[in-house]
Order: sequence, then C-alpha cells, then structure tokens
Amino acid sequence: MTTPPALRQRAEAEAARIPPLLARAEHLAGTVLLGEHGRRRAGLGDDFWQYRPAQVGDSRRLIDHRRSAKGDQQFVREREWQIAQSVMLWVDQGASMRFASEAALPDKIDRARLLALSIAILLVRGGERVGLTGTTLPPRRGNAQVLRLAEMFSHDAEADYAPPEHRAMVPHARALFLSDFLGDMAEVERALTKAADRGVRGVLLQVLDPSEEAFPYQGRTIFQSVGGTLRHETLKAGELRDRYLARLADRKAALQSLCQVTGWRLGLHHTGDSAQSALLWLYRALDGGVR
Amino acid sequence: MTVLGGIGFTAPWLLLGLLALPILWLILRAVPPAPIRRLFPAVSLLLGLKDDESVSDRTPWWLLLLRMLAVAAVIIGLAGPVLNPSRDAPGSGPLLIVMDASWAGAPTWPDRIELAEAQLTEAGRAGRPVAVLRLSAPEPLLFQSAEAWRSRLPGLSPAPWQPGPPQIDAALDAIAGTDSGFDSYWVSDGLDYAGRDRLLAALQDRGALKVYQTGADVFGLLPASYDDGAIQLSALRAAAGPDREVTLLADGTDPAGTARVLASATARFAAGETRAETALSLPAELRARITGFSVQAQRSAGAVTLADDALRRREVALIAGREDREGLELLAPLHYLEQALVPTADLLHGGLLEVLPANPDVVVLADIATLSPAEEAALTEWIDEGGLLLRFAGPRLAASDVSRSDEHPLMPVRLRSGGRSVGGAMSWGEPKTLAPFPETSPFHGLQIPPDVRVTAQVMAQPDPTLADRVIAALADGTPLVTRKPLGQGQVVLFHVTANAEWSSLPLSGLFVEMLERLAVSSMAKAPDAADLEGTTWTPVQVLDAYGRLSEAETLPGVDGADLASAPVGPDLRPGLYRSGDRRLARNVLGADATLEPAAWPADVPVEGLTVRPELPLGGMLLSLALAMLVADVIAALALSGRLGPGRATAALLAAMMLTHPTEAQQASETDFALSATGEMVLAHVLTGDKEVDDVARAGLRGLSDTLFFRTSVEPADPIGVDLERDELAFFPLLYWPITPVQPTPSAEAYARLNAYLRSGGMILFDTRDADIARFGAASPNGRKLQDLAAPLDIPPLEPVPGDHVLTRTFYLLQDFPGRHTGRDVWVEAAPPDAEQIEGMPFRNLNDGVTPVVIGGNDWAAAWAVDRNGNPLVPVGRGFAGERQRELAYRFGVNLVMHVLTGNYKSDQVHVPALLDRLGQ
Repeated sequence: MTTPPALRQRAEAEAARIPPLLARAEHLAGTVLLGEHGRRRAGLGDDFWQYRPAQVGDSRRLIDHRRSAKGDQQFVREREWQIAQSVMLWVDQGASMRFASEAALPDKIDRARLLALSIAILLVRGGERVGLTGTTLPPRRGNAQVLRLAEMFSHDAEADYAPPEHRAMVPHARALFLSDFLGDMAEVERALTKAADRGVRGVLLQVLDPSEEAFPYQGRTIFQSVGGTLRHETLKAGELRDRYLARLADRKAALQSLCQVTGWRLGLHHTGDSAQSALLWLYRALDGGVR
Repeated sequence: MTVLGGIGFTAPWLLLGLLALPILWLILRAVPPAPIRRLFPAVSLLLGLKDDESVSDRTPWWLLLLRMLAVAAVIIGLAGPVLNPSRDAPGSGPLLIVMDASWAGAPTWPDRIELAEAQLTEAGRAGRPVAVLRLSAPEPLLFQSAEAWRSRLPGLSPAPWQPGPPQIDAALDAIAGTDSGFDSYWVSDGLDYAGRDRLLAALQDRGALKVYQTGADVFGLLPASYDDGAIQLSALRAAAGPDREVTLLADGTDPAGTARVLASATARFAAGETRAETALSLPAELRARITGFSVQAQRSAGAVTLADDALRRREVALIAGREDREGLELLAPLHYLEQALVPTADLLHGGLLEVLPANPDVVVLADIATLSPAEEAALTEWIDEGGLLLRFAGPRLAASDVSRSDEHPLMPVRLRSGGRSVGGAMSWGEPKTLAPFPETSPFHGLQIPPDVRVTAQVMAQPDPTLADRVIAALADGTPLVTRKPLGQGQVVLFHVTANAEWSSLPLSGLFVEMLERLAVSSMAKAPDAADLEGTTWTPVQVLDAYGRLSEAETLPGVDGADLASAPVGPDLRPGLYRSGDRRLARNVLGADATLEPAAWPADVPVEGLTVRPELPLGGMLLSLALAMLVADVIAALALSGRLGPGRATAALLAAMMLTHPTEAQQASETDFALSATGEMVLAHVLTGDKEVDDVARAGLRGLSDTLFFRTSVEPADPIGVDLERDELAFFPLLYWPITPVQPTPSAEAYARLNAYLRSGGMILFDTRDADIARFGAASPNGRKLQDLAAPLDIPPLEPVPGDHVLTRTFYLLQDFPGRHTGRDVWVEAAPPDAEQIEGMPFRNLNDGVTPVVIGGNDWAAAWAVDRNGNPLVPVGRGFAGERQRELAYRFGVNLVMHVLTGNYKSDQVHVPALLDRLGQ
C-alpha cells in the first residue's frame, strides 16, 4: 500500500485536479533564489513587467529599442521580480497514525502521506522547492524530488507517537505538519516555537479517524495504542464518552492557541472525508497564507 | 411417573437441580462480561479517566434472570415433563374393546378410532392381550397383541345398520366362546337397541366394564313422503335436548348429471322434542331429479333417506275416442282411470300429437282403434324410446279391423272380430272371474277380489306368441291383459274397457294395484310386505355407514316381502332396489322409526370420547431454553458493545426478508399475463445467453417499432419468455434464437409448445449462422436446432416457394435477409395437390399459418435497435447494408402480418390487384 510508485501514482491523481499552486513568498531576503513567483514589483526575472523611461544611470544595454523607436523617448524594459519558496513537510510516521476504525476507511497515515505528497507535487509543479524537515531530504526542485519524497514517506516509525521533526528548518521557509497530534503536546510546542523563532510559518493539519471524533464505544473495553505501549481499561466505555470528547476539544484548543501565538494555521481533517477537500484547504492555506 | 400439579415427570429427581439455581445466580452475578480489546490511538487522551460506578461490573439482573430461566428450562426439560399424564391404574389381563360400529357413530368415527388407538397403546404398554368386537359385524374374539390390533384399526369401518338380534346373538356366542375373564371397554354410539342389556350383563360377568359414549346427539331422517303438493320431511334426534334447528338438504343431479344440492329446508326441534318436521315444495321437474335427502353436517346413513318412485310423479297422457255423448261422466271411458291416477300422477289431456312432445311416461288410449299415419309414427318412435302405451278395448276397437289379419305394431296381439260377451241377457254362461296371476306376470302376488267380473271382452287370435304375451287371463284362460315389448318400451292391452261397461275391474282396488305394477302410477305410500309379495328386487346402489351411495355390484337380490319388513342388516343393506321399472328405496330408518338414547346402569362408568393424549413437554422446554440462550447471546453482545446497530439491523432485516415467495410468484404470473395480453406483444425465447437474449429483445423492439410506424399493428414492448414457466398462448409469434448451449426444455414445456403450435402460434427458429453454414446439421446451431425441434409437432417443411404467402402479406419480397443473406428459409410444405392453375400467378396454397419458419439469417440482429432507435448491429456495408436492413424489416413485417392475417393475401380475390402491382 505504501510502495513509493503506488503512493506517487495516487498522489499524482489527486494533484491533477488542482491548478498549479503558487505559494506566496512573504520574505524577500534570505531566500533569493529565483523562481517563477512574480513579486508584483520590478526585479530579476524572466517575465515582462513594465516599460519605464530610461533614467540616468541605466546601462545602455537595457534600453528596449523596439519600444523606444515608436517615439522620441527611450524606454527600459523591466522584468518582474520572481523568487522561489521553500516548503518543508513533516508527516507523522508514528504507529498511532496506522489506524483505521473500519475496513472501508483508510489509515490515518495513508491519508496524511497522500495529502503531503499531493501538495508536494503541486508545489513542485509551481516551481517551489519541497523537502522534509530534518536533515534527510532538504528542499529541492524538480520531479525527482517527488520521487524521493514518496520514497521517504514509505518508511514507518516504530514509536507510538512520533515527535515533530524540527531540526534543520530553512529560515523564512514555509512548513506543513501532518499528524494526529495525539502525542505529547510539549514536543509540538517546542517545534512550533523553534519554527517561529526562525521565521518559518506554516500549517498544521490534524488528521483524525471518525471514531476518534465520535467515540462510539460501549461496554467493558480495554483500549490499546497501536504500538501497544499504552492501555486503558474501562467497564463502561459509554460513560467515558463525554469526558473523552472534552479532552479532545481541549487538545484542539491547545493546538489552536499555539498556532495563533506562532502565526501558523491549524486544519482538521477526518479520514472519513474526501481527500480533495483537505487538499483544497491546504492549497488555500499555503497559497493565501497569513495575509 | 410422578405427577406434580397436573404434569407428570419421568425423572423427577432431576428437579433437585433447581436448588442449584441460587448458587448459579450468585456466581454469574459476580462475573462481569469479558472485556473487548480495541486499538485506539487516542488512548493517550483516555489515560486517567476513571469509571463512575463500581457496581457496573456486575451482570444486569434481567440478563441474569434470562440465564436462570434458560437453565431452569433445561433442568425441567430433562426431568421429562408430560402433560395430561394417564392416571389410570393400568389393568392387567385380557382386554376386550367393544364397538357398536353402527351408522350412528359414523360422524364421529375418527374419534372412536383414536380412542381405541389410545386404549390399545395403553394396553400395549401394559402388555395386555386385546380383542376388538364390532357389534354390527361380530366375529369370534381373537385376543392378540395390541400392536397387531393397532395395525388393523384403520381397516375397521362402521356398518350402515344397528346391531340387530342376529348380531347380538353372534356377539354373545363370541363372548361365550372365550373361557377366560377379561375387562371390557364399550365404545357406544349412543343409541339404544334391542339386546343391549343382554350383552351388558354378559360383559359384566366377565370383568370390569367401562363405557365410552359421546355427548353429541344422533340425528336421523325419516323417509320422505309426498303429500299436499310438497315433500314432507321428518328429522329425528336421540336426545330431547334444547331448541335446535337442522338443515335438511335435497340432493340430486343437475341437468348436466352433476351431483349437487338441489334445495334445502330447515327443520326445528322444539325444546324437549325429538322430532322435527318440515315441508319442501319443489317443481315437478326438480322433484324428479332428487335422489335423496340428508341432514346437513351429519354424515351418517341414518341421516340420509333415499328417494324412490314414491316421490316420482309420472306423467300420464289420457286420450279417449270421440265423446259422442255429453254429461255421462260415469260412463266416460277415462273416468275410472282418472280417479285411479289423480292421487299419484300428473295427467295430461289433449290430442296425441300435442301431448307426445311433453314426453309423458305413459300414454293411455281408451278404445281408440285407428291412428293417423303421423300419429302412429310419432307414437312408435316414442315407444321405441321407452314409452309405455296402455290401450283399453271397447266397442270401437272391437268393431274395427285393427290387428285383425296381421298384428298391428301398436297392438300386442291379433284380435278376433267382434269380441265376445258372456253372462249377458242374450248369452250363455256366467260372467267370468280372473284366474290367479302366473309367476311370470308382473301382477304376481296381487290378491284378486272375488267380485271382479268380466262380461265382455275382445278376443285374441291364437298365435304362437300369444302365450308369452298374456300377463293376466280369465278363469277360462282367455287373455285379459296382454303385453308385448316394442323397442325399449312396451304396449299393454286391457281386453276390456276402461270404464265399468264391460267389467267391474275398474271398480276394484285391483285395478289400481295393476296400474301400479305396470308402473303407470307410482306408489302413494311405502308398500307393505303384502304388496311386494312374490317380487324379487335387485340392489342398484347401497349406502355405507357414512351415508354415501355406492354401486351394489354383485350383491344378491332380495325378496319383496323382506325388503318391505325385514330390518336392515348385512343381508338387507340400505339402498336403492329395482324390480322391473319400479325403484324402491330401503332406508336405514323406516317411516315409524324412533331414536332412543342408550341408557347405562349406574354401576357402569361412562366416559366421553375425547382423548387427552399424553404430551411430552421436554422437547418444548429444551427448545425454549435454546431460544433463551440465543437471546442471552444477543443481549450479552449488545451489553458489551459488540453488537453494532448495523449488525442488529441486518439481522432484523434478514428475519423480515422471510416472506412468502409464492404470493410474489402468483403476483408476477398475473403481471406477466396482464402485460402480455394488454396489447399485442412479440416474444422471444430466453436462451440463457445474455448477449443473445439482449439482441433478440432489441431486435423485436426494432421490429415492433417498424410495425408501429408502417402498419396498423401496434405492438407493445417485446417480452422474453421462459419456456418452463410462462404461458405461451398470449403470443402470436415466438422468436427462438438457437445457441449451442441452451438447455433443452422439459417435457411439460414441450407439451405447452406443441399446444401453442397446434392452436395457431408460430415459432421463428433462427440458427444465426447463415454466414458460415447452410441449412442442416452442419453447424453446432443446426444440430442444436434438430435436438430442440425433435419433440415438436412440426409438419413437413420446404424452402419458401416463390408463391408463398410470406412473399406478399405486406411487402412483395423475393428473399428474406437478416444480418446474413442466406437463402435457406423453410416453412410448412404446401399440400401435394396444390397445383398452379393456368393464368394464375399463385397456387391456391394451404390454409392457415405455417407453424414454424426456420432460417439462419440472424434477423434479430438486423432488426435490433437501442432505446433511441439507432441500429445496434452493423449490417453489410454502406447503402447496400442499409438496403439489406430494410429488407430484413420488410421480412419481419411480412412475417407478423402472415401470423396475424393468415392466408388472407393468398386469397385469389386479391389477384387482380396483385397482378396490377406485378405488372403482369
């Protein structure tokens, strides 16, 4: 299921439905590598921006003779300033993500990988540089990077709840974290504050199974984490429902406040919903950013 | 067996297991249901959450109760509970089961057999030898094992009579013939009869006696009589109970000969009365068809009374010669006849030719000598068909030349001219008396009153046949009444007048009796022994104990005196008896019979018939326990959260899906018939190959559309026909594509197909392989067609001749292409004598429609269109292909027209128009 070619094929299928995503670059400095992102101001780039009268100091090479020949004045052709953005992904590979409450639903990790790779394809198609947080796969351009991402996504982690990878984040880049965020909140907090310190802004997408949202359990039950490290026994699972839901709401509220502090955006996706809508939301979130 | 509260237990000690239930309760209560293990990533959020109640780890009380009940049901079920346990102390020694086995017990005979069977079972359990004695047909006692008797029980049947003195004596002999003592069960029919007390005493001598007798009343029906223009019916009952109504039915045959109830009447037993009477007024025609009466819902011989001649009123036509004098009634030739016949017969007056069409039973000609040729012919024909012609002599006959030299066909003997008179003023001798009737005479046994005198008569010529024809003679041997058979009827001549002119015979009672014996009049009341003296009656139909009539077959004849007076028994079975033309019914109950309920001495225990069979409850209780355990499983699953709502709904739905498929099937049959007959519908045979079937359906749809647009035939959507299931009669045309693998129809389906072909249906066989094979067995489809068509009723075939009506029923066609253009299309061969007449373009070919058309051009594919009317299958190439498809449609139109109009276009009336079209 998670073989790289299969994953990539499905991701291509998802990505094919969305126009190329143009992520918005907020920062000029730092990442000065040229890309196809018009900055709506004159600068270095390939696309025509405007003609302006030649001024003193302009090199004669810059005079556009075709335009200048139409009149007496001399014009200089300006090009739009274009930059490329770096986007770093982190997908929770922990055991807790390998869960689906029903056979008809995909695993959470499956959905998260699909979304991550889809957005990666869109970004690459838009000329962005995409990579993983951490040192394993720094951001690069090109379709080969998509292959490498798919390769990286097919490795499962052993731990029950994997902490977010926050090392080696490119300053002022953008980031996308996909996880269920059911593990230790301190790790998430540390990762986000560190990212904020480096000027990295991005999106958190919480991927949850419908049963985690509804808690439709009754009777005497022993709940086990997927990795088997945690277990909890109850005699009346139905009685726990309200308190569980309150805790889940607390967790979401904590994530939301963390995002507000650090300037990130928080999204919620259920595996029972369509992946397309989640991808659309991610597209908006990364493109629109925090305007 | 221990009995506790009306229920017996075969293993009562097992009930002690019930004491263990409270302990089980405590144990079960302490054990909570086993937990489910679930993977749940969000368990990190659950950590630290405590359960509210500490009580909830116990099983809920209602689940405990369910389990307790299940266990209790198992324990009780294993203890062997038995409902209605037999509490009688089992007796020992031989047992005699005495059954009245008369008609009175016939309505409840199954109950009696069941009772006897229960007693035999019990006796078999106790190992007692058993004998069964039927009082209506006693046999020597035979003590056998109960099992042997049980196997004989179904063969025992009641007899249509009560035990009479001979049977009682035989039964007493049988009892006396055994030397040991025995206990007796007496299954009584509830009616008293003579000799019952003797039998009772004999049985009580031998051992204990117990009587089983039903409380149901016994009903009887007395013979019907005809009085005051209505049929008088009397019903009897044995016990003078409360007010009650019974319905009496008149059974008979309708004009078609079917037995049915012709009329009914209700009779009311007043409270305390045992007799109820009613009258039934019916038209004579209906009355003549009545065969018997019965009490509704009482199927016994006593509740049935058969009708005989007593109810039948014969139609007698009286025809006299010209009345030459008015007002002399006592001298009128017919006066005495009328007096004799009016009470028992319907009289017809009028001319002979007017009366004969009414088909009277008897025609009386009083002193009529000559008849017109037309009258004579009509009368002869009527006698040939069974009529009785009764002639009386008189002055005119004596004076005429009728039957003088040659015997007239309508006279039994030749007559001498003039006749004779004896004992008159101008003659010698005394008036003559009658000689006793000889044994061969139908009058044999009648008493001759001494004062009957004959003073004048016509004389018969001595002939070789005369002796055979005389049925009554005077003391001197001269014939008085002569008779000869004619066809199926007979001619009888009284040699005296019908009035008192020539003799005093018409004044005597003998005259009436003679008329009765001749079946001129029917008996007004039941004959007594004296009336029937000297006659022999053969049984025609006899009654069984249930009141059903059956053919008497080889039963011997009965003496007339016995028939009248002897009680019914094995030698005189109730039923219908015949002697000559007369029919007499012997019913179980005579006219003065009464029904007396059987009364038993106080020391004889009497019980009802109803058996309450022992009913083992163990199996039921164990099933109940199983059901409760299933409920427990479901409840436990639900309680522990393992039973999702989806699964529960699925189980409920599965249970509700168990509906009655037969109703649905009936409904679908009706729907099929409605859709097939609402409009004209083309049909194709379902081959089981979906592709072929779809193409066939699409093809017929295309053909139907074409017919709709071009002709006045407006078919509805085509239908696929399953030969095994569907009725074929609705379809004028069946298209049958042949596939090599389609199943061969069953024998019933072939029967239906043959009926379909015989009744004008047509089957178009299409092997669909004309592109690769010629007609014949060369291809798999051709071989399959031969297999399929072998059992069909198909006439000789020939390739479609050029002048076959198929070539011109709507379009003028020369060939019949479909998707392929094979030329081999076969139809029923023309008759060998069909020849072309000079100048006519067509032969006058066979009538009707060819039942089969066989070809291989895959017509359906050429006709096939989709829902939008576009062709489904390519045909040929380019314009030539479209032309070929058009011709295929034209063939289809011609075919349907041929089916619907037959050989209409073959009719030569259309030849000029057709010639004009053909340009010839």
